[in-house]
Amino acid sequence: MKSLQIAATGMAAQQMRVDVISNNIANMSTAAYRPRSAEFSDLVYQQYLTPGTSTSQVGTLVPAGIQIGTGVRPSTVSMELTQGALNPTDAELDLAIDGSGYFEITLPSGESAYTRDGKFNRGQDGQIVTMDGFPLTDGIIIPDDAQKISISRDGEVVAYFEGVTEGQAIGNIQLVRFVNEKGLEAMGDNLFRETQASGTPTQLVPGTEGAGFIRQGFLEGSGVDVVKEISELIEAQRGYELNSKVITASDEMLAATTRVK
Amino acid sequence: MSNAIYAMLGRQQGLMQEMQVVANNLANSSTTGYKSDRALFGEFLVATGNQSSSLSMGGLAGHSFAMAQGALKITGGELDLAIQGDGFFLVNTEQGQRLTRAGHFQLSTDGQLVDMNGSAVLTSGGTPINIPQNASEVRVAADGTVTVSAGDGLPPEEVGQIGVVTVDQEATLVRDSNSYFSAPNGHRPAENNEIVQGALEQSNVSPVLEVARMIEVQRAYEAGQALFEREDQRVNQLISAVRNG
Repeated sequence: MKSLQIAATGMAAQQMRVDVISNNIANMSTAAYRPRSAEFSDLVYQQYLTPGTSTSQVGTLVPAGIQIGTGVRPSTVSMELTQGALNPTDAELDLAIDGSGYFEITLPSGESAYTRDGKFNRGQDGQIVTMDGFPLTDGIIIPDDAQKISISRDGEVVAYFEGVTEGQAIGNIQLVRFVNEKGLEAMGDNLFRETQASGTPTQLVPGTEGAGFIRQGFLEGSGVDVVKEISELIEAQRGYELNSKVITASDEMLAATTRVK
Repeated sequence: MSNAIYAMLGRQQGLMQEMQVVANNLANSSTTGYKSDRALFGEFLVATGNQSSSLSMGGLAGHSFAMAQGALKITGGELDLAIQGDGFFLVNTEQGQRLTRAGHFQLSTDGQLVDMNGSAVLTSGGTPINIPQNASEVRVAADGTVTVSAGDGLPPEEVGQIGVVTVDQEATLVRDSNSYFSAPNGHRPAENNEIVQGALEQSNVSPVLEVARMIEVQRAYEAGQALFEREDQRVNQLISAVRNG
C-alpha cells in the first residue's frame, strides 16, 4: 500500500522544514545571519496510462491518463539574500556591509573564507581579526600607536596618531562578490567557503560593480523575521499532522482488508 | 466465481489508488508550484453472455489536475518569481524542455538564470537568460522582461524576457518529478498572466478538501470490504443449504 510510504515522505519533508525553521529562530540574534528556507518538489510519477496514447485505430487519444505520484522530496535549502538591519555600535572596528558582498578572511590553514559578520578587533600584531582571531585577507596592519582608525565607505583605512591632525592611509578593505551567492557552503561561525556552484570570488572596491558600501560603527543584524518563521512553523506542524492522518486512514483500510477472511 | 466480487474488486483497487493520489497531494502541500491531482473513475461494460444482463465494472479511468492559482507567498527574494494567471515557466532539462510553475530561481556559476534543479530558465524563444556578473539589482517586470542595473549610475540594461508558455489542452500535460510537466504536443506563448517578483506560488492543495476525500475513500473502501464479507457469507450459506438439502 503506497499511500503509507507517500505520507511518510510528506512527514519527513515537514520535519525537515521544522528543522530549518528552528535553526532560523535559534539564529535570530546572530550577526549577519541569513535565514534559510526549505523548498520541496514532487517525486516521480508512475505512469499507468500515459496521456496521448491512442485508444483506437482511427486515432482517438487518451485525453488524460493515469499518473500517480509517489510523494515529495526536499529539493533545496537556500539562503535568503536579505539585508539585515544595520545596528549602530560605535565601535571603530565594527563594520557592516550595506549591500551585497563579503569580507575575505584567511583561516589558519591558509584557505580563504567569507563572512558578512563585521565584528572585528585588533589582533596581537596589529592585524584586523574576527572574533575567532582569523585575519582579514587584505593584510592591513594597524600601527601600535594609532589612536583612532577611520574606515571610509569605499574601504579606505586611515590611522590617526596623537598630536597629528593629518591621518595616514594604511590600506584598503575590499569586498568580494560571487555570481551565485546561494551556492556558498556554510561552515558555521558565520563563515562561508567557495564551491563550484558559487563560482570564483571577484574582488571589488566597496561601492563599485554592484558591491555594497562599508559602514564603520555598525553591525548587520540577523535577517530572521520571527513572525514569518512562527507562521511557517504552524504551517509545517499542521502539514505534519495531515500526513499522519493519511497513515492512520491507510492503516484502517488495511485493517478492513485483513478483516475479510 | 461470483460477478459481484469481481465488480467490487475493480472498485477497491481504484480506491486504493485514489488514496495514493490523496496521500501524494497532502505530501506536496508545501511544494512550490504543485498542482493538486484528482482521480477519475470510469465505467466499463463487460458482456456476460446472452441470458444475463451485462455487468458494469468501475475502475480508475483517468486523472485531472486542478490548475487553480495557488496562493502567492511573499519571500522578497530577488529571483523568486511567481506566475499570477495562466501559463508556465519554460526550462531546459537534460530530457528536453519542461514546463513548471515553481519559480525559485538562482544563478549558475556562469551567470545563467536557472531553477532549483540547475535547469536553465528560457525565453519563449527557447534561449537561456544571462545575468551580467556586475549586476547589483535584477528587476523582473510583469511581462517577464529582465533588467539589471550595475550601479554606478549606469542606465539599467535589458537582458531578456522570461518565457511564459501554455498548452491548448492542459489535460495532455504529463507530470514529471521536480514539479515539472512535459508537453508532448508542444506549447505556445501564454496570455492573461503577470509575473510577480519576490513571491513564490504555493501548492494549491486544499487540506480540507483532501481530508474530506480521504475520509470518503476510506469509508467507501470499508463498505466495499463489508460487501465482500456479506458475499462470502451468502456463498457459504448457499453451499451448506445445497449440501444439507
